[in-house]
Amino acid sequence: MSERLSPRAALVGGLLLWFAVLGGVSAWAVHALAAWSIDELACEAGHDNLAGFPLTGAIALAVLLPAAGAAAALAASVLAWRRVRPNHGDGDERSTGRAHLLAFVGLWLNTLALAMIALGGVAALVLPPCQR
Amino acid sequence: MSSSTAAERGTGPDPAAMAALDSHWAAAPTLRNWFATVDHKRIGRRYLVTAALFFGFAGASALAMRTQLAGPEAGVLSAREYNQLFTMHGTAMIFLFSTPMLFGFGNFLVPLMIGTRDMAFPRLNAFGYWVFLFAGLFMWASVPAGAAPNGGWFAYVPLTDERHTPGLHLDVYTLGLLFLGISTTAGAINFIVTALKLRAPGMSLNRVPIFVWAIVATAFMVLFALPVLNLDNALLFLDRRFDTRFFEPERGGNVLLWQHLFWIFGHPDVYIIVMPALGIVSAVLPVFCRRGIVGYPLVVFSIVAIAIISFGVWVHHMFATGLPQLSYGFFSAASTVITIPSGLQIFAWLATMLFGRIVLSVPFLFVVGFLVTFVIGGFTGVMFALTAFDQQTTDTYFVVAHFHYVLFGGAVFPILAGIYYWLPKITGRMFDARLGRWAFWLVFLGMNLTFFPMHVSGLLGMPRRVYTYSGGLGWDALNVLATVGAYVLAVGLLLVAIGVVHALRRGDPAPDDPWGGDSLEWATSSPPKPYNFAVIPRVRSLHPVWDPATAESTGPGADEDRILAEGRRTLFTSEFDGRPERAVEMPEETLKPLVAAVGLLVLFLGLLFAWYWIAAGSGALVAGTLATWLWPPHRAPEEAGMTT
Repeated sequence: MSERLSPRAALVGGLLLWFAVLGGVSAWAVHALAAWSIDELACEAGHDNLAGFPLTGAIALAVLLPAAGAAAALAASVLAWRRVRPNHGDGDERSTGRAHLLAFVGLWLNTLALAMIALGGVAALVLPPCQR
Repeated sequence: MSSSTAAERGTGPDPAAMAALDSHWAAAPTLRNWFATVDHKRIGRRYLVTAALFFGFAGASALAMRTQLAGPEAGVLSAREYNQLFTMHGTAMIFLFSTPMLFGFGNFLVPLMIGTRDMAFPRLNAFGYWVFLFAGLFMWASVPAGAAPNGGWFAYVPLTDERHTPGLHLDVYTLGLLFLGISTTAGAINFIVTALKLRAPGMSLNRVPIFVWAIVATAFMVLFALPVLNLDNALLFLDRRFDTRFFEPERGGNVLLWQHLFWIFGHPDVYIIVMPALGIVSAVLPVFCRRGIVGYPLVVFSIVAIAIISFGVWVHHMFATGLPQLSYGFFSAASTVITIPSGLQIFAWLATMLFGRIVLSVPFLFVVGFLVTFVIGGFTGVMFALTAFDQQTTDTYFVVAHFHYVLFGGAVFPILAGIYYWLPKITGRMFDARLGRWAFWLVFLGMNLTFFPMHVSGLLGMPRRVYTYSGGLGWDALNVLATVGAYVLAVGLLLVAIGVVHALRRGDPAPDDPWGGDSLEWATSSPPKPYNFAVIPRVRSLHPVWDPATAESTGPGADEDRILAEGRRTLFTSEFDGRPERAVEMPEETLKPLVAAVGLLVLFLGLLFAWYWIAAGSGALVAGTLATWLWPPHRAPEEAGMTT
């Protein structure tokens, strides 16, 4: 960690780290809001499609796309966690220790986010969209 | 247990610097300065005392209700009085006790724990306290006037609209919470900026105490959740006062909109209450196990995860409203998964106890009481994540039992642990341990005797919020038990209060670190000086007080840039890694926060009584006060922190 990074590399690395930390939960937030609002609003209005697209398909998209995002964030967090290890003899120990902690937090956040999206997907598989 | 004093550790700069610090930070004990103080420690203590007072009012309401419910067809309270008392009990416990009490701990402790001299915005801090006090008085004053809120703490429409609940009751509720929300939001912003910008040099994110992580996560939750509640209350006030139609289906509104908005705030609010309390547990428990907390990164993860996922579970409060089952599925998934990070913290504490050497002190007893009761509350919480079970027990006493185990177990026990743990630091006096043990056992037994029978009465079908019931339904004995428990609990809490007063009047002087704690508040005197630290420490580990290198950093020979005796100054550091940036000037005592808060009080009274010209006039007073408050002072560039 002693060699200096260019500003561009530092920016990209920082953004990747934040994607690794918050990408999964952001994807889950998109999934929860999109799938729930599509289901509740369309059913409330008595529709079984969304602009001509079947409701089940729309909900499936609201599951699969965020799941892909969460999986990508999970992969990024695993990579970040493995590459950023604190070295106690290093002058940059504070930064690497902090980045390692953030990557670790991201790794587990992404795992939970993926689990929640998958469980929502299972619900979409077994329950008809408008059953009350 | 080991204890130490600053003198023993050899801390402190030369006497001239100490005298300069005193002259810049200490305020003369005048009446004006009592009202004008911006010292985070005094403000924190005021939060604690005021919240305890409101807790007393809400507890007395609960005792009156339990007396009414001790037997069937009792006539202690009328239905009208009961409705107002149970609404004020819930509203006050949630909004006027739990969060302000924990913000009080945060106010006192966060600057000390991160090694700085005050909150980032001291005047905003004072303003937040005054607004909290006035909002609490605004709401409680409605009880003797017979105009207290009476629609339950979550005030569902259409019950709470003007047609079904005329009078000022719900106007007090909506305006009171909007008024209080200003204080809570101001406090949250202050915590975030303080924790991100004022940490001692070297305190990177991986060295931040768990309690501070918990307060910051809570503050972020407040910032995202509270605007939704404010919107909800503003819409209800407009519906009631100006006949708008946001919640009236027959005129194009949506009655479920209230519930959605309320619970988008309401479920995160459960964690807003519990999270700082869990932070207290993570601060207290390791110290009495004589080791650091097991799994620090996992506990940090757990705090962050709960703070985020809690925003995606609100519909589990609406499983009986007839939404599509697939919608329930999405929220059921999140409601189930959120138990994982919550459970992780429990296992981290258990492992800390397992691998540590336990010292069975009074604060630790309350932590153990928390563990037992919170786990029971968490267990019934998992049951509610299952839609089918939730639909069977919704609006029964089972729900009342569940949330009292979560909130009393999850917030009151840690708060009591925190009071005993930090009382020596806050007051400079030790408490009577024997009195503390008696208090613990009475609170623990009383709490379980009060709330455990409610699980059974709920499963037997007793609905919540009834002011009386017929005999012979199988609920009579259970209600007698709950009422006896409530009185035992009240005696236990009274002993806590007596213990605090006894410590203040007769307690032995407290050493700086009576428990051998690891975080920076124990590196200061008891009670701390107005400037907290004569030398801002340089942090080199997660346990700075147990770490000789950090302790040495406050000894003789410390750099001038961490003493900062030339003015009322503290140090700005970088957000992530705690790298020193620059010294900043901190504001002095001022009456402006109090004047602005009084202006807001008059504004809300004007709105309540429909005196709109008075409301407009006080709005102008508030705006004028804020303008003078924010007007840039005439200072030299060095004083303003423009140059180094």
